[in-house]
Amino acid sequence: MSLFASINWAVIAPLVVIQFILMAVALIDLLRNEQPNGPKWMWIPIVIFGQILGPVAYFIFGKGDE
Amino acid sequence: MMQWMTLFQKEVVENWRNFKWVWVPLVFILIAIMDPLTMYYMPVLLESGAGVPDGAIFEMPTPSTTELLMMSLSQLNTIGIVVVALMAMGTIANERKSGVLELTLVKPISYSKYITAKWLSLVCLIAVSLFAALSVHWYYVNLLFDTISYTEILLVGLFFGSWFLFVAALIILYNTFAPSAGVVAALSIGTIIVLSVATSTFSKYLTWSPANIPELIQEMLYTSSIPFDLMMALGVTWILTVACLWVSVICMERKEVS
Repeated sequence: MSLFASINWAVIAPLVVIQFILMAVALIDLLRNEQPNGPKWMWIPIVIFGQILGPVAYFIFGKGDE
Repeated sequence: MMQWMTLFQKEVVENWRNFKWVWVPLVFILIAIMDPLTMYYMPVLLESGAGVPDGAIFEMPTPSTTELLMMSLSQLNTIGIVVVALMAMGTIANERKSGVLELTLVKPISYSKYITAKWLSLVCLIAVSLFAALSVHWYYVNLLFDTISYTEILLVGLFFGSWFLFVAALIILYNTFAPSAGVVAALSIGTIIVLSVATSTFSKYLTWSPANIPELIQEMLYTSSIPFDLMMALGVTWILTVACLWVSVICMERKEVS
């Protein structure tokens, strides 16, 4: 509990927001994408649980050709 | 000029549809604030770790703002370049593969316009990302450590950005002749690594190498004056950038003829 209290959440909040935006944008794009590179059901957990790397990996490798 | 603007707009809109304008700045911001945050929370992290016996006292020297800035720059210099290379690896190579390139160049568009529009749109994206990253870095360092002047950050961004001009031109160059996007990324990252290693090994002779710019920025921050070598390195970088773009145009012409 002391660890939880000792963290200044005003400092950490922007990080969480950035990560959330990345995840949301990647998810929206993934759901709209008709032909992602690789199966859709595989990308959904990667984007959601992949922290920062998940969405970035999707944008770089998963979007496929338009 | 009209034609060039159209090409440039097409690139900007495409980067917007790809969400590159969203995720590249965000990733750059994360890269730039990672180190200040971990340095700030280091005592907390060590304390919560299991390996510390009771009563042990850690005297962690607080890093100076210059040290923090250099840490973030070196992160941007490694992870940032990898992200840029992976993000831009298909900018021409994929267009060639999917046939968009032929559609674009069927009209009488000069290759130089096509190449410079591609390059400048990439540079704009990188510039915005770097600016955002360094601004948030500045905010966090001010909040958690010590005051640091914003003009200093802007100056560093300007010089560091010049190094990325060259990286962008290099990626465009490889795009014009490499058979696939993966090869572009591998060649770009490989070239940057070779250049960086060569620069740090033969630093005596390669003082004006583009890869030496981060090192020279450090010198600038410690002496708080712009070293002569930094200006020369910038000059060399700009010349190399123009050369890369020029060779790209030639490569495009050759590829089209054959």
